[in-house]
Amino acid sequence: MKTPRISFISALSLTATALLFSTSSNAATLKEIQDKGYIRIAVANEIPYGYMTPSNEAKGAGPDVAKLIMAKLGIKEIRWVTTNFGSLIPGLKADRFDMVAAEMAIFPQRCTEVHFSEPNSSYGEGLLVAKGNPDNIHAYEDFSNNKLKVAIMAGADQLEMMQALKVDDSRMVTIANNADAISTISTGRAAAYAATSLTVSELASKSDRVEAATGFKDPIVNGNPVRSWGGFTFAQSSTDLRDAVNKELLELKKGEEWKNILTGYGFSETDVQESPKRTTAQLCTK
Amino acid sequence: MLFGIEWDTANNWVFAWSILPILLKGLVVTIQATLVGFLVALILGLVLAALKGARLRIISWPAYFITEFIRDTPLLVQLFFLYYVLPEYGIILPAFMTGALALGLQYSAYTSEVYRAGLESIPHGQTEASRVLDFTPLHTFMFIILPQAIPRIIPALGNYLVSIMKDVPVLSVIAILEILNVARIIGDRTFNYLIPLSMVGIIYLLLTLLASAGIRYLDKRLPKEGIPLK
Amino acid sequence: MDNLLSYIDPLLDGAWVTLQLTLYSTVLGGVVAFMAGIGKLSENRATRWLSICFIEFFRGTSLLVQLFWLYFALPILGQAIGVDLRMPPLLAGTIALGLNIGAYGAEVVRGAIQAVPDNQYEAAKALDFTPKQTMWRIVLPQAIPEMMPSFGNLAIQNLKDTALVSLISLGDMTFRAEQLRNYTQDSTTIYTLLLFMYFGMALVLSAIMKILERYASRWRTRKI
Repeated sequence: MKTPRISFISALSLTATALLFSTSSNAATLKEIQDKGYIRIAVANEIPYGYMTPSNEAKGAGPDVAKLIMAKLGIKEIRWVTTNFGSLIPGLKADRFDMVAAEMAIFPQRCTEVHFSEPNSSYGEGLLVAKGNPDNIHAYEDFSNNKLKVAIMAGADQLEMMQALKVDDSRMVTIANNADAISTISTGRAAAYAATSLTVSELASKSDRVEAATGFKDPIVNGNPVRSWGGFTFAQSSTDLRDAVNKELLELKKGEEWKNILTGYGFSETDVQESPKRTTAQLCTK
Repeated sequence: MLFGIEWDTANNWVFAWSILPILLKGLVVTIQATLVGFLVALILGLVLAALKGARLRIISWPAYFITEFIRDTPLLVQLFFLYYVLPEYGIILPAFMTGALALGLQYSAYTSEVYRAGLESIPHGQTEASRVLDFTPLHTFMFIILPQAIPRIIPALGNYLVSIMKDVPVLSVIAILEILNVARIIGDRTFNYLIPLSMVGIIYLLLTLLASAGIRYLDKRLPKEGIPLK
Repeated sequence: MDNLLSYIDPLLDGAWVTLQLTLYSTVLGGVVAFMAGIGKLSENRATRWLSICFIEFFRGTSLLVQLFWLYFALPILGQAIGVDLRMPPLLAGTIALGLNIGAYGAEVVRGAIQAVPDNQYEAAKALDFTPKQTMWRIVLPQAIPEMMPSFGNLAIQNLKDTALVSLISLGDMTFRAEQLRNYTQDSTTIYTLLLFMYFGMALVLSAIMKILERYASRWRTRKI
């Protein structure tokens, strides 16, 4: 029985269609984006830094500021992409989106992989614990001394902080989504969730089975209390986009509108005041 | 580093070699999940098959409905349900057990069918003959029917074992460190997905070929007529 | 309970993606199944080997591994050889699902074709049919009714497998459900709703496959 020749033709046509399918998007320059008319921005569903509402609207400190900046740059359409936090940098590198508006913390290890804008927001750390704080945890340092498990987000810098505090790999429970934290803590799969202060207060407000650890002090790493500066992230080849965004961002930060966006999402006065106190260049140097 | 083992990104071959022990640690979890899940599927499947064979409709109909419902809904969603919803009603299981339970539940729908088909394939004359010889129903089942049924259901059950193994990566969503999850973490941190994921693919292929060969061997070794009792 | 109504809209959006994905991947799977199934029976050694390798590979590795590889690893391979192999999630999902279900379908196709009695081939040869005509006009019409029940099962399996694409950020039903849960933490309602939606889709798909099965069995020859 001979194979019908048709199968080879179908194979060829399938490949052809597949190639047609693929959007030929390279790390676009600012001009290309302006010509195309749309920019792809990614968020990681983290309230209040950057998230999508059920009606598919992008909200958060990152997206709201990004929307203002894009309007100023003449880019009319933003195509929002939601992905895991841990996939934000890989996604930029693979050019699945042009920019990230998740207020990713700017620190040296990330600077070698991607480019950051100047800081947009700044934030401290926090700990989410079970209601009543049964394990009496009030600081990241507590985990250096006890045998409990701490939950961290995949790809987040709390990993580096915990490692700096000499917490062993086996005691870290990695979750992919902030939303999983409530379940992880309330079911005792971890004693606490180490995340930024706003993430913690946001999650605490969602469920009465968890609460934010009181009396929390930012962990001290390398002699300084940790404070993070979050900004927009770009692929390493998108320098012109980053520069354009920086120009508009620095303009915006002088005004009231920017301040109101941040405080509206729960950032404190300290957070707002600290934001201009560092430049990306400073944050990227080890 | 992961599991305390550092990797070396000097070049592709060195990288591959250095992450192999890490991947193998994940493989151990994969195999554990496969075996426990299979065990759960065998037991739950037996329960479902028994319920479906019940003479009271009020017992067999819900059992049929549950089987159909489990077979028609995705493992991933069932897993999410078990992991997030059960705790709301006070049932808190460790992640691994939840994963094994989800696997077992999904495949119990299939194993119950295998049991039923296997039992039905035994000629009715066997039961009749044994009844004539005054054997109790239990004795009939344990020593006449079952030894003949087992060789018939081994191939099908074996195939489901392999299927379970291929479904274990779904458990990565509840942070179980099976092999695909490990590979993905390595990829996320080193930005090199190609090497870890390709290695996982090859390891899976080898594992499946090995398991399939094992099942064929078992099938050959077991006599077709039934397991001899002496 | 009015939350339930607010969940329906996003879930329906996701359901549309799930439907599209199921449709595309089932069609692709069908084409692949026939190609590989017939290819495995070919007299041409190369075709046979290619089909066997394809079938063994896609049946022997985990679907999620295949999906992740296509989405995360293939672009890197492409970079190494200088070709842009990045795929949007919908394409990666369609291809992974299609190839996977196609490999399983290939065995069904092969089995059904081999079940066609030898005398059919002999009669066709006696009547001077070309091999291609034999396949298309004699063998396949008799083989297809045999394949339909198994195809029905595979179609349902494919529908279930579409849930995995939520893990590569494709906005299907499971993805939108996860998004909702992230926002509202209402796990019970959302997942129960999601399970029933999949169940409903599976029942409809089952019914469609049964209708196709009945249609195809008109091609069955009566045993003489």
